[in-house]
Amino acid sequence: MQTVRPRRLRLLFALFAVASLVLAGRLAYWQTFGRAELLARATDQVRSDLVVAAHRGVIRDRSGAILATTVELRSLYALPKRIPDKDKAARDLGVLLGRDPGPIRAAFDSGAEWLYVQRWLPEATANAIAALNIPGLGFQNEPKRLYPNDAIGASVLGFVNDNGDGVTGIEGYYDAQLRGTDGRLVVERDPANRDLAVGLREAVAPRNGVDLTLTIDLVAQTAAERELAAAMKKEHATSGSVLVVDPTDGSIRALASAPTYDPAAVRVADPEALRDRAIAWPYEPGSTMKAVTIAAALNEKVVKPTDWYNDVGYTVVGGRRLNNALGKAYGPTTVTGILERSLNAGAAWVGQKLGAQRLSDYFLRFGFGKPTGVDLAGEVTGTVRPLAEWYPVDVGTASFGQGVSVSPLQLAMAYAALANGGTLFRPYVVASRRDADGEHRTAPVAVDQVVTPETAAMLRDMLLATVDDGIAHNASIAGFSIAGKTGTAQIAGPDGSYVDDQYVSSFAGFFPADDPKYVVLVVLEKPESRLLGTVTATDAFKGIAQDILRYARIQPDRRP
Amino acid sequence: MIASQAVRLVSASPRNRASSRVPHAAPARRSAREQRSRPALLGRTHAVAAVRGASWDLRIFGAAIAAIVFCFALALVYVSQTTALSVAGYDVQQLAAQRDELRRQNSLLEVQSARLDSPARIATDAQRLGMVRARYVPVIPAQPLIAKR
Repeated sequence: MQTVRPRRLRLLFALFAVASLVLAGRLAYWQTFGRAELLARATDQVRSDLVVAAHRGVIRDRSGAILATTVELRSLYALPKRIPDKDKAARDLGVLLGRDPGPIRAAFDSGAEWLYVQRWLPEATANAIAALNIPGLGFQNEPKRLYPNDAIGASVLGFVNDNGDGVTGIEGYYDAQLRGTDGRLVVERDPANRDLAVGLREAVAPRNGVDLTLTIDLVAQTAAERELAAAMKKEHATSGSVLVVDPTDGSIRALASAPTYDPAAVRVADPEALRDRAIAWPYEPGSTMKAVTIAAALNEKVVKPTDWYNDVGYTVVGGRRLNNALGKAYGPTTVTGILERSLNAGAAWVGQKLGAQRLSDYFLRFGFGKPTGVDLAGEVTGTVRPLAEWYPVDVGTASFGQGVSVSPLQLAMAYAALANGGTLFRPYVVASRRDADGEHRTAPVAVDQVVTPETAAMLRDMLLATVDDGIAHNASIAGFSIAGKTGTAQIAGPDGSYVDDQYVSSFAGFFPADDPKYVVLVVLEKPESRLLGTVTATDAFKGIAQDILRYARIQPDRRP
Repeated sequence: MIASQAVRLVSASPRNRASSRVPHAAPARRSAREQRSRPALLGRTHAVAAVRGASWDLRIFGAAIAAIVFCFALALVYVSQTTALSVAGYDVQQLAAQRDELRRQNSLLEVQSARLDSPARIATDAQRLGMVRARYVPVIPAQPLIAKR
């Protein structure tokens, strides 16, 4: 019998001992220092760390109608390797999606492991595709912002891009509040990807975005958009805007801008259409500004409505001759008559009596040359040049709205101040916000008392006469008292000089004149009928006013 | 009165009467009973003695068996509860998914309802049906009506 030498045994033992020590050391390492790493690797195999998306807030009109909401729509994805008959699948999908099957087939052959065939499918289409039961195709729910009224209210609502960011309008201005805060869910899952009830579960609930109720009235908004579209079509105007404002609190009831866009198809929209012209387009207002000039003069008691001057068709200010619109002379004319006939020479006469300093001060007090503070993104301030930069002639031209630029919203708010007794309000669009803490209503903010109630009442009467007996007679509505003023302004070219035969036509008015509930401003840029563009603007005003009067059930205040 | 009746009832009990009449019969019966039950008593005594006399090993073995059975039962209960919980978890998940889908469908219906209520859509459909806008809406003033009454 052969025996093993003790030396060899010792060597073998030593080898085993060393190996055991190494193994023990390694084991000790993984149990102590390397524990976290191992644990993390093991946990990662079963752990799922998900972002729970917050629900973007709903936007409603003042009566609760949905204007914008986010809905989970199904997006179709494909795992091309698992599709048995790619040609047939592409053909079937092409029919249901209304697309050419060629690109779909090409996408299947692109080598991608996973790809979207089409995102955000209409429910009926998704159901039809699901019924085909094609292996390798699947659906994934994705949030999509929907606008049930299509392009109606697009300018005021703005839109949300594919990344979920609000870009313009309400969506842009209130993006942080609307989007909310995403939550998180860490949970262990089984091989079938189902949450395990027993095991790791850490959840941070998402904080949904606030729901907004706007001051916008969908009926008034629809009327405004319809009339603006009709006026734009008739006049082939470059652009246009309409504002409907409640003069009692400064809330905006309708805001329309043209050209407009469909928020569901922003990619194909003209970039110029994304600009909300009601707040982001400065223009020289022209004759609508005469009401402000005369209000300032009446408030300073420089003139009375019955004061008169001899109109010869023009006036000379700072050595420059300023003509009436058609150069016509009217002879002795009262201050009321200046508005009724929209006389530039008369407005310049009033402006001169008031003086440049006070005229400039009143422009600023009425909110021109500075932001109104409306809760919409992209507002412009317009321009009221510092008094030091005024030429002597400017007091004349500014009196009838040339040489100063305003936004349509600024002018509408100025008319709202004249309508409500002289209080300039800060315009607003969001009436209330609803979050987890409840509802928060927006309080109207009175910025300034720009003229006395007596002055405002005199102006109301003068603007009423302008519609009843004057140049804006086209705006009259049987049975109702309407006050308002037309405006035709020349457009300055790039070199600063006025362009021939191109105008901005507008009409600003309010009703019922004795107790104004609505101010409506219509502005058209470069109407085809030039000086007669105000007729179209007035027609648009009348169409909107008639709809609102019916809808708001306002009683006639006159015999028809 | 009640006390005297009770005394009488007690004195009339047959056992008492028997014992009072045959005072020496009881020891004889008791011894007979004891003789009959003696083997059983002896067996019990032996068992107790056997347990008492059993070694500690046996006792520990018994206790271990009992503990194992108890632990097994406990584990069985735990596993069954965990399984039930997991199944309930899957049910909850299914119900949550069902709830989410119903909410989604509800949102879609709300959007569809809003689309149908849209004034622009109604106006378009009305126009398609040949309807026209009223040029003038007569309003009857309330004041003369009140005066006539």
